[in-house]
Amino acid sequence: MCVSGPSHGDVSLVLMYVGVKPDVLLCCCRSMLGRGVKRKWSCHDPSMSRLQQRQLVLSLCVEKLQHYQAGVELSLRRSVLLINTLRQIQEEMRSDGTGTCTPEVLLHGVDPDSYLLTDDMSVTCSGCAEGDMESLSLSPPASPEPASQDAEQQKPLPTAVSNTLSDAGSAGGYLSDLALDDIFEDIDTSMYESSDLLSAWAAGSLWPVTSSLWWDEDMKLRPAGHSSAGSLQSCLMDLNELDHIMEVLVKS
Amino acid sequence: MLSPIQVLCSDITTLSLEPEPFASYTEADIISTVEFNHTGELLATGDKGGRVVIFQREPESKTEPFSQGEYNVYSTFQSHEPEFDYLKSLEIEEKINKIRWLPQQNAAHFLLSTNDKTIKLWKVSERDKRPEGYNLKDEEGRIKDISTVTSLQVPVLKPMDLMVEVTPRRVFANAHTYHINSISVNSDYETYMSADDLRINLWNLDITDRSFNIVDIKPANMEDLTEVITAAEFHPHHCNLFVYSSSKGTLRLCDMREAALCDKHSKLFEEPEDPSARSFFSEIISSVSDVKFSHSGRYLLTRDYLTAKVWDLNMESKPLETYQVHDYLRSKLCSLYENDCIFDKFECAWNGADSVIMTGAYNNFFRMFDRNTKRDVTLEASRESSKPRAVLKPRRVCAAGGKRRKDDISVDSLDFTKKILHTAWHPTENIIAIAATNNLYIFQDKLNSEMH
Repeated sequence: MCVSGPSHGDVSLVLMYVGVKPDVLLCCCRSMLGRGVKRKWSCHDPSMSRLQQRQLVLSLCVEKLQHYQAGVELSLRRSVLLINTLRQIQEEMRSDGTGTCTPEVLLHGVDPDSYLLTDDMSVTCSGCAEGDMESLSLSPPASPEPASQDAEQQKPLPTAVSNTLSDAGSAGGYLSDLALDDIFEDIDTSMYESSDLLSAWAAGSLWPVTSSLWWDEDMKLRPAGHSSAGSLQSCLMDLNELDHIMEVLVKS
Repeated sequence: MLSPIQVLCSDITTLSLEPEPFASYTEADIISTVEFNHTGELLATGDKGGRVVIFQREPESKTEPFSQGEYNVYSTFQSHEPEFDYLKSLEIEEKINKIRWLPQQNAAHFLLSTNDKTIKLWKVSERDKRPEGYNLKDEEGRIKDISTVTSLQVPVLKPMDLMVEVTPRRVFANAHTYHINSISVNSDYETYMSADDLRINLWNLDITDRSFNIVDIKPANMEDLTEVITAAEFHPHHCNLFVYSSSKGTLRLCDMREAALCDKHSKLFEEPEDPSARSFFSEIISSVSDVKFSHSGRYLLTRDYLTAKVWDLNMESKPLETYQVHDYLRSKLCSLYENDCIFDKFECAWNGADSVIMTGAYNNFFRMFDRNTKRDVTLEASRESSKPRAVLKPRRVCAAGGKRRKDDISVDSLDFTKKILHTAWHPTENIIAIAATNNLYIFQDKLNSEMH
């Protein structure tokens, strides 16, 4: 089996991380995505408060990241700008303390639309003390991925020359120095075991950094909510939605 | 309103127009790039269907004075075909992202065209004579039995109908993992660069199997990715200098003499953010969608979502000039974000003297700014307003709540599906080409045409 060409190499490094705390994202995922979303506010509404606008921008961000045309590569520029906007809003929410949902909301599957459609922002994102976030332990401090396997790829190209022979046998391209094993070492297959999902999250990586050369099939084959975690079912449903976002990002 | 000196409003006449109006068009017909060659004699357009159409300016005709200067279709060819990336299970669109002409060195013309992944070099040449009178071959081209040939005839070149041949000369493939957004031919005439979202490669025009990576902003860990390259261009005179713009609103000038891999820029052009204007969309609207060196090489012109800026290469701290393209949209950003228009990539252009800049807007409007007089004008590229030889009337958009004059158009009635993203300015004359969806409009300075 040959691995060649810069395209191939980069697939193993695709963007999987949004950099937004999962709890914030879950909040809007639950409320805004994939369930016959009825948005309360519209951009045309001049009476919208800043907080309402923020919520709208946030949900649109996630919506935009989720909805994409199957089989067509997304604009990386657009994705990066959307993700940076998400990050900015997250930062703002964190600093003014409205950034998270309560564990109850997250874990006990309140009808997503019911709280979405309330006017009161404090209902949507209430009780979001920092302490609650800790106890949720879905978002421990971001720990960088172990860099050991990445070391190979972090090395600058020795000659800064990218041989672009299309001949697969020549293994030309950015990763021509890499052994096949190195590429596959980067693939964190634990992502594909649903039961490991939570542990992966709890283990410290904000979004499990995973990569796959065949991510598409894997993602789609995994049954939704396939878990024995009981009350965490709804949470896992959300994780599946996050997977959609990941799919989007992978395509970038 | 404006005196007739520049290519501003009243000076512009419709030079030529796509002859047959199409009631409907397909996605493939949408023009995705426009580019004059170095003399302005030829104009190339690329579309989403992967086609390239070359227009040629008609030579002056004494019998038909009004035909002078018109551009007519010279050649049409299919540059790129849709492909499929089996590794990623993704389609590679045939859409032509950019066209760049090579400086002419002989009778033939050469151009580079690129889609998201593959750059191609095309030769455009004319043939108007064919050899006649061979007697070594029969009419079907088969070599005759030598014994039947009793005399030797010298073939002669006979004139024939002009034929334009377009032949692919090079294919530069497999060097880009991300989408190619720019190509730029170097002033050494031997090399060119291609930029994608995260990398810039340097190529020799004769060598297709390798390129040199001169910029790589891809973080070791894609988690850390916060910025992409949006456009790149070589300096018009110094073959070691190039600039690239980013989605964070910055410009980086790099000198290839400093290092093979230009990870460290020589200059960083960045305007400090105005904290009072900060909104959720600040970063999105500051993303640079196009960057162009002035012909002199002294200035840089950039376009972001709401403004066009002129930078002096000698001043990194802030732009020399900032022009509001459609400031009335500032209050509409949320809607433009909702309908995705906020991600539109408008391009910008200099006139030949570097004194006027031009860029597109919505509602088939385009804007021109005179750098010396500080006057600006909004014009419309539409069939209704652009009858051949007619003079374009300036248009005016009335901001929400503002006083509305006759013929003003209100912000709320702007058509955001009609956007002018791609424009080009003739290298020496006041002739401009405007791509409006599937139509190409070519306008010229009225004064200029009357002088002939």
